[in-house]
Amino acid sequence: MSSSKKTQNPEPIKIKKVDVFYGSNHAIIDVSMDIKQKSVTAFIGPSGCGKSTLLRCFNRMNDEIIGCRTEGEIIWNNINILDKKVDPVPLRRRVGMVFQKPNPFPKSIYDNIAYGPRIQGVNDRKTLDSIVRKCLKDAALFEEVGDRLDESAMDLSGGQQQRLCIARALAIEPEIILMDEPCSALDPIATAKIEDLIDKLKKKYTVIIVTHNMQQAARVSDYTGFFYLGKLIEFGETKQIFEKPVEKLTENYMTGRFG
Amino acid sequence: MAIKLSKKLFRKVDDENPFSLKINFKEKLIVILLFASASAAIVISAAIIYTLAEGSVDFFTDPAVNIINFLSGKEWIPSGKNPSFGIISLLSGTILIAGGALIIGAPLGVAAAIFLTEFAGEKLRALIKPIIEVLAGIPSIVYGFFALMFISPILRDFFDATYFNAASAIIVIAIMLLPIVISISDDAMKAVPQHLRESSYALGATRWETAIKVVMPAASSGIIASILLGLARAIGETMVVVLAAGSVARLTLNPFEETMTMSAYIAKVATGDIPPGVAVSAGFAVGLVLFIITYLINTLAARVVLQIKTGSSYKIIRSKKGKKKSFNIILTKLTTIKEIIIGIAGKTKIFILRNLIRVKKQKRLSLKKRYFRQKIGITLVGGSIVFATVFLAILLGNILTEGIGGLNLSFLTSFPSRFPEKAGILPVIMGSIYLMILTLIFAAPLGVGAAVYLNEFAKDTRYTRFLRRIIQNLAGVPSIVFGLMGLTIFVRIFGFGPSLLSGSLTLTIMVLPIIVVATEESLRAVPNSFREAARGIGSTDWQTVRYHVLPNATPGILTGIILSLSRAIGETAPILFIAAVFAKTIPSNIFDGFLALPTQIFYWTTQPKAEFHIIAASTIIILLIILLVMNTFAIIIRYKAQVKRKW
Repeated sequence: MSSSKKTQNPEPIKIKKVDVFYGSNHAIIDVSMDIKQKSVTAFIGPSGCGKSTLLRCFNRMNDEIIGCRTEGEIIWNNINILDKKVDPVPLRRRVGMVFQKPNPFPKSIYDNIAYGPRIQGVNDRKTLDSIVRKCLKDAALFEEVGDRLDESAMDLSGGQQQRLCIARALAIEPEIILMDEPCSALDPIATAKIEDLIDKLKKKYTVIIVTHNMQQAARVSDYTGFFYLGKLIEFGETKQIFEKPVEKLTENYMTGRFG
Repeated sequence: MAIKLSKKLFRKVDDENPFSLKINFKEKLIVILLFASASAAIVISAAIIYTLAEGSVDFFTDPAVNIINFLSGKEWIPSGKNPSFGIISLLSGTILIAGGALIIGAPLGVAAAIFLTEFAGEKLRALIKPIIEVLAGIPSIVYGFFALMFISPILRDFFDATYFNAASAIIVIAIMLLPIVISISDDAMKAVPQHLRESSYALGATRWETAIKVVMPAASSGIIASILLGLARAIGETMVVVLAAGSVARLTLNPFEETMTMSAYIAKVATGDIPPGVAVSAGFAVGLVLFIITYLINTLAARVVLQIKTGSSYKIIRSKKGKKKSFNIILTKLTTIKEIIIGIAGKTKIFILRNLIRVKKQKRLSLKKRYFRQKIGITLVGGSIVFATVFLAILLGNILTEGIGGLNLSFLTSFPSRFPEKAGILPVIMGSIYLMILTLIFAAPLGVGAAVYLNEFAKDTRYTRFLRRIIQNLAGVPSIVFGLMGLTIFVRIFGFGPSLLSGSLTLTIMVLPIIVVATEESLRAVPNSFREAARGIGSTDWQTVRYHVLPNATPGILTGIILSLSRAIGETAPILFIAAVFAKTIPSNIFDGFLALPTQIFYWTTQPKAEFHIIAASTIIILLIILLVMNTFAIIIRYKAQVKRKW
């Protein structure tokens, strides 16, 4: 675990009594937890338990959904990012996100990665070149596509597209990376590559990953939160959650006694 | 079809076998009739091509005509001792007007579509959509009147333009293009998947950056298609050009001068301003050229639209190596130019140049600046909607103030006259109403039948695809070409003369594609489970359609028919060849001559006396009221159906 680097790690991200409503549907009920920085935290639980909804609070993506209302606080660097006064646009520059389905823009590989820096006014070709190169390397994709950056991102395989989306997220130099079931649309080989990548990313970034796949959570994460029907049932070190869960509900889920 | 039928007729019916094929003659006949109405599109297309070919053959075999001269000549002088037919001057007029309209209309339309899809929100959208529908519903003769009576005087005052000038037509046609460009661009941008927007937001992009850098490029093929369709419409537009741009063909790119387009020449032939003989057959040759050009543009647009529907548009955006190379060359050239300029300018006020030339920006854009850009951007795209709305308001206001004075009971109940103060429009209104009723009788069964066949009975064969393409092409034929066809086929070959019958048949052909498209759309909206349920309890094909599909599609079909009739009643160009110039009596049977509201507006607008312009505006008000009533009916039907609909 990353406990040895504790001194250089900043304060954890504090989630305090967060509730999310979609219209009259209460999707997240009174969730509080501390997320440690520069480590991987996994959210697990059955479909519709609210784990993705909570993930989307970290970059205020829920703002884009009409009729969605959020209460409570998420304190990061002493700022409540759920505060209406916090502008989601600069927030999202510091919180990258990778979605469930690989969703590259219908542009070239180069333009996909350069998109984030470009909208912030980086126009110099050399700077962009080096950003693209670095992000592709960090996303373990450079070897595969380095010689065809001008080709359409739509022609890549699903696994490559997803790593491209990770590279695209890295290009904005975020501090937190959110991953919403990043491997659910991928085959086992592509999944293994992404998991390796997550392991590398936690050295520099705080990674929060939502996953359906419990083995994946066990493999990649340091901390795991188990959600059920919008509530956080149990949260702790991954080893403890998987080996000695405190709650009966968590144990039932882990052992596959309900779906 | 026929062979299959006869085989089945001779098959013996086995009463013992409950699954034997019983011959249902009535059902077969219905399917054959539906098939025939769908196939009518082929006959119609053939008739159009025959019309244009026959007239063109007449033209090119004339001793005064030389095909090389026709294609390369710069003079278009149809009458006089030494007639000359060089289509270049007509082409240049067409390019000037259609191109000009596109340069103004396309950016305005695309901007409005961006505002509509990305920034308007539900409520504002519901408010803007009807404005665009009204713009689309105003007949072109009304736009033409406005161009000549309102825009042209302003241009004369400020730009020293001539009485007839291209610029007034350009401005008005640009506005007429908006509904096409907006609706198709809007569809294309709405089809861009939401997850692309989300991933852009997740990278910290503002809504404006997302709209311009992600949504617009992803929808680019649809936007291009919308502009192409707009261009085809602009090239085929007739009445605005005839009224506002004049009738002297000349090679000019000065928009403040008089000019003539291809469609305008055909219209001149229709109004009898052209001496009979070779000058008239020249109209058919010009019609052929016009037909080919619009056909090519529409086919190109249809291909692009098809790519959007099949989703392959995302794949088209492939490597841009070539582009980038040239871009880099431009960049390096710009840098050298920049260095030279800086060398010359020394240290004085370089920052102005910095804004003109792309300079390396190492600094990030501040958020403030990005939001400022967003503000400017939204103001601009929103402004285009405001502009369109203001234009519409001025147009309607101008016509109301001009024409309201001429409206009174005697105007509605009198006959047209050479004296404006005595003139009325009773026979004209009756002519329009009769024309509409006849068009309804011809077009509704034919169009609905064709759509029912295509959507419910046709298998996906080559023939069906061919039929669909033909119908799509018919929708793009310029209305003045339908006029040429009506003249040749109905008036001359069928011998119906310049009668109500000929007029309504011509309009039938024009509105047929509209009815087919509207009907097919509402048939497709009926869930397939209804058909399966009906077949599952033993209904035949026709019973399924008759009792389960058609009743549920009726409101949509009715709306489509009403809207297509409102299009027919406002059309001028196709019946310009057929309608009378002066209405003495109310037509009493279908072989009588007639005058319709739009043609009457046309003749009064072209009169020199200003009093006639007032009653032309009054007639426009009557026409707009009729259109308003019809559209209100359509909206009520649509609304009631929506309330009643349980699926």
